[in-house]
Amino acid sequence: MAKFHSSKIANHDTATIGPNRPALWKLFLVWTCIGIQSFGGGSATILLIRREFIERHTWLSEEEYERYWSLCQLSPGIILVAMVILIGRKLRSRLGIIVSLAGMLLPSAIITCLFSAGFVLVQAFSPVQAMMRGVIPATAGLMLTIALQFALPPLKNASSSRGLHLIECLVIMVLSALAISWWHIEIVVVVLGAILLSLGVFYPLQKRGKA
Amino acid sequence: VNWFLYFLLFLKASTFSFGGMSNLASLQRDLPIYHWAHLSDFGKAVAIGQVSPGPNGLWVVSLGYLTYGIPGAAMALLAITIPPFLILPLNTLYRRLEEQHWMEALLRSLVLVSVGLLLSSAWSILAETLQDRWSIPICLMACVLCITRRLGALALILLAACAGFLFYGLHF
Repeated sequence: MAKFHSSKIANHDTATIGPNRPALWKLFLVWTCIGIQSFGGGSATILLIRREFIERHTWLSEEEYERYWSLCQLSPGIILVAMVILIGRKLRSRLGIIVSLAGMLLPSAIITCLFSAGFVLVQAFSPVQAMMRGVIPATAGLMLTIALQFALPPLKNASSSRGLHLIECLVIMVLSALAISWWHIEIVVVVLGAILLSLGVFYPLQKRGKA
Repeated sequence: VNWFLYFLLFLKASTFSFGGMSNLASLQRDLPIYHWAHLSDFGKAVAIGQVSPGPNGLWVVSLGYLTYGIPGAAMALLAITIPPFLILPLNTLYRRLEEQHWMEALLRSLVLVSVGLLLSSAWSILAETLQDRWSIPICLMACVLCITRRLGALALILLAACAGFLFYGLHF
């Protein structure tokens, strides 16, 4: 009886959130649309996700979305993929994760492969080679831009607080770049070293400074 | 190509990266050692990734294709899909993690080390092109245009292709 009662409550629960559980094929389609529409990553895709999942379909609440987004900043690898996993699981549990990832990544990955194959076909032509001599340094500029976008928020925070934060920012950024490009140290060591430096040296110093 | 090691190198790069582009530095370091990729492949893959749809991080799929064909692309895709699954255990720990003061310091160190990774991979790409007169001006111009948000990544790549054609194809 108790079991029946609880299942009734559960039913009632899904009834109030009822229309908020999308069919799997719909979930797949929505993620496919988002994946194919997003070029050059980051902020544009975030806007698309917000529009589809909160505004158009009300599958997610604003608070859940914000919580997922801040949590995903901790994820290794592509932040958006972590976001897809969390939203997929929230909406349709395990199958939801698979369907969402497939929708977001597979069509785009296939198009990326087709573009790469097309490039392989034409790359020997001299006009294409001339174009690539312009494109390659531009991609370096793009990487530089992404680096600056990463660096700005912590630098801004640091300049508004104590000097130790600023020293931490500069030391870790410069040391890690040098460690890779100049001393050719293994990346895993560099990443772990930076974490150790931050948590082992700067964090205790900052704590002592506050106390 | 030892496909298992190839896959592991991609997986390692993705696991120790933060955001879609900072795995570049690790791959730039590892793949050429085994002669599985030429240094010039990385710039090409990033450029193709920028003109293709999908998250930024899908540029590795292009690198996989350029270096090892369809199997390479599939392994690259798998390698970038696995590490973000760590978000599921993190999600269950969220309430406890949220209260820890050191979390902020940890997050900051990850962002900062990514800046180092991105800077050194930008340098590696640029270093390959330094024999060309216009490389550094194009690189800086691209950076300025992106930061001031005058141009999206797609338009930027097309513009750079035009510039390359003018300077090196027509010898303007």
